[in-house]
Amino acid sequence: MVKKIMNEPQNIVDEMLEGFVFAHPELQWFREHRVVSLKEKKKGKVGVMSVGGSGHEPAHAGYIGKGMLDAAVAGNLFASPSPDQMLKAIEDIDTGAGVLVVLKNYSGDLMNFSIAKELAEAQGISVESVVVKDDVAVPDSTYSTGRRGIAGTVFVHKIAGARAAEGADLTQVKRSAQKAADNVRSMGMSMSACILPGLDKPGFSLGEDEIEIGMGIHGEPGIQKSGVKTADELAEILLEKIMEDLDYRSCEAALMINGLGGTPLMELYVLAASVKKLLVQKEICACRVYVGNYMTSLEMAGCSLSMLKLDDELKRLLQAPCASPAMTLQ
Amino acid sequence: MFHLYKEDYLRYLAKAAGVIRGNKEYITELDSATGDGDHWLNLTIGFEKLLEKSKEWESVTYQELFQNIAMTMMSAMGGSSGVLYGSAYLKTAGLLENRESIDQGLLGEILQGWAEAIRSRGNAELGYKTMLDAVYPAASAYAKGLEEGKDSGECLRQMARAAREGAESTRDMEAVKGRASYREDKSVGFLDPGAVTMAMQLECLADFILEEDKASAAKDSKQI
Repeated sequence: MVKKIMNEPQNIVDEMLEGFVFAHPELQWFREHRVVSLKEKKKGKVGVMSVGGSGHEPAHAGYIGKGMLDAAVAGNLFASPSPDQMLKAIEDIDTGAGVLVVLKNYSGDLMNFSIAKELAEAQGISVESVVVKDDVAVPDSTYSTGRRGIAGTVFVHKIAGARAAEGADLTQVKRSAQKAADNVRSMGMSMSACILPGLDKPGFSLGEDEIEIGMGIHGEPGIQKSGVKTADELAEILLEKIMEDLDYRSCEAALMINGLGGTPLMELYVLAASVKKLLVQKEICACRVYVGNYMTSLEMAGCSLSMLKLDDELKRLLQAPCASPAMTLQ
Repeated sequence: MFHLYKEDYLRYLAKAAGVIRGNKEYITELDSATGDGDHWLNLTIGFEKLLEKSKEWESVTYQELFQNIAMTMMSAMGGSSGVLYGSAYLKTAGLLENRESIDQGLLGEILQGWAEAIRSRGNAELGYKTMLDAVYPAASAYAKGLEEGKDSGECLRQMARAAREGAESTRDMEAVKGRASYREDKSVGFLDPGAVTMAMQLECLADFILEEDKASAAKDSKQI
């Protein structure tokens, strides 16, 4: 018997959104399309939205708010929303200045978006997109699907939202968001599996004393199974893999220690302390540090580390005020 | 020769839904090995929605039926499967313009259309370890049967066999697209769940027509 707080598993996404909007009355939702959006629209501002499967809460609707996203579209569990859902959100948030859609690099998300973009453009709405592929566990590749988009996406939401709030046009918002996507890297690890509501068992299993390095946010297999590590060892493994890919030495960076849903904050803070020691050694200045559950994988235990390398522009946008259910900055 | 009318197609869909529903453990296990384990869940959501909505589709044309199937699968399932099945049905809806039934020749065109739509929307090629590796050989085998003047039963059996063998052949392939490509071993040694469920549907379609065909043949002989 799988124990979950739910009614019928097939209604779980709709009921989650119902509760979400109940808790955040500044937001509205279009039930039929599973679109959540900010009630208040600012005429002439570029709309920024994110799309993705459910099961990653607070992503994606949790990032809707001033200075962040204008809308989010929820798919089924771990599956991309459909073109008509995305189109509904695009129509809702376009105020004439066009819409930027933040995508994570998954085949389904990209295919569904390509149709939504065609449909929106047929209506005369300008639509641009940025594809986040921050997970260094997967080799970058133009031939295959390539890298996944994971928690680093939250930084792209923040940067794109802040740039749009400054009154930038669609090209400028896209450029800043792309810069954020180009400069963010993430690496995760998992300690236990999650069970999709409606299924009876987890999609994979880890031994009592086993962890998996580089696992994705849907429980896709990682790069290596290993024995249990200390927080210091984990910090070193995750950071090393990130630093192999992008050199952050003597730079300023924003840091995110993200929980996958089943790991207590206490442990995430311990990991943050371990990462801090390494940053000092590598002369990386952590300009802002986020610790918490920002992009989860149901009840999976584990974490990811994301780092955004900052220049003056990204730093300004990162520190601009925002107010969303899952991230607020005064 | 067979005639698959609109009502028959709806009954085929109900049968296919049953096949998918009954393979929960098997499909989920395949998808968990190389992906995220949601394939069965989402495919089932799509088929259940089709069955629910099909009650409202009694008065639509065959072409509209395919369009409705496309939009319903795309909307209800989302993900890669939703958009790929949606594209397949949408592309082939036009073939049904002013047609009351699908006959032996038209089914060949539809199968080719499905394969082509999935290939172009998914930006995939044969051998990428996707559902294309089931539908493409199935369409080709059926077309070959037609070309060689085989009867409809033989064409259908060849099609079903090619679909099954195609799905089976994904075991040795390296994944290029989708989540299975994330594994360091590119999921070699595992079947592609999308190819397997595609083959299940194609086999189900062939079986359905063969059974119906026999049924109508029996009816005819009785009349004689």
